[in-house]
Amino acid sequence: MKEKGMIQQKSWLKSYAYGIKKSVPVFFGFLPVAITFAIMARGVGMSSMETIAMSVFVFAGASQIMAVGMIGSGAGMISIVLATFVLNLRHVIMSTCIFKRVRIKNFFLKLISALSVTDEGFAIITTEDEKNCNIPFALGVITLTYLSWVFGTVIGVIASNILPKIVADSFGIALYALFLALIVPNVKRNLRLFITVIVTAVINTVLCRFIDISWAIIISTLAGAALGTFIVNDEPKDNAIGEVTSV
Amino acid sequence: MNIAVLILCMMLVTYIPRVLPAFVVEKMRFGKRFGKFINLIPYTAMTALIFPGILGVDAERWYIGAIGGVIAIALACFKKIPSSLVVLASVLAVMVAYWII
Repeated sequence: MKEKGMIQQKSWLKSYAYGIKKSVPVFFGFLPVAITFAIMARGVGMSSMETIAMSVFVFAGASQIMAVGMIGSGAGMISIVLATFVLNLRHVIMSTCIFKRVRIKNFFLKLISALSVTDEGFAIITTEDEKNCNIPFALGVITLTYLSWVFGTVIGVIASNILPKIVADSFGIALYALFLALIVPNVKRNLRLFITVIVTAVINTVLCRFIDISWAIIISTLAGAALGTFIVNDEPKDNAIGEVTSV
Repeated sequence: MNIAVLILCMMLVTYIPRVLPAFVVEKMRFGKRFGKFINLIPYTAMTALIFPGILGVDAERWYIGAIGGVIAIALACFKKIPSSLVVLASVLAVMVAYWII
């Protein structure tokens, strides 16, 4: 019995370490965003503690940067909270995907695992082979993404004045590069998925001209996936695409 | 504005959309088409986050983001290259672009 426990513990640690390993690119992605956020927050008069506290408690890059921008332009609290809510609506969809892949029964583990629902955590978990998507893997992803975000904010608060602007600016590409690195390998060997992706990009680009970007992202994500169900066929693949699971 | 209250409210509206599906998803039944739809969302969501946002990496010069994007796509085509390396190479490419242009 004891031995069995040991083995389980070992595979638990292995999955956890794998989750951390898979999240390393996010560290490079989050750092510049966190630093940008910290610089902006200090710029609109938030204290160091408030800046770090926002990252600790909210843990949402786009929302925090938007909130700070709105504070800077003199917006009121209600409109900031509302805008945050709209911007985060996409997380309902992402969270549904994640919890469909990583089945969790325990109440407290559910509460903690909700922290894996960031654009990046979602990207990592949903592009990972389904057999690797267990609870310790998700916890590993959460550990590194969360620490990267908080650590990046602290670095930003401390070092915002030291870092050369060109270096900070260049890291702005990091999150996009990460998403591309995650989707390109799958799109490359599936023409129908490629078409779906192109259609989504076009819809979003057009919508962005007419409506607010956070709504555009939600609508084009849903519309692209809905159209995609008519485009993509059912060939089984070793990742999220094509495996049609009925529960 | 009371920043502490703002942080608390933002925490609520951020956390609730994240946690709610955890308690609902097991009661949902997925049909064939809906399963396909859910499986496609990672790709359409990431695409929507990339385009056209990537072209706004530099507010005045769209091609700065395009350069980083092309490098990332090109390297991501090789299966052997880990994604952290793709990200770093893309960042370096943008840094060089800023420096030269």
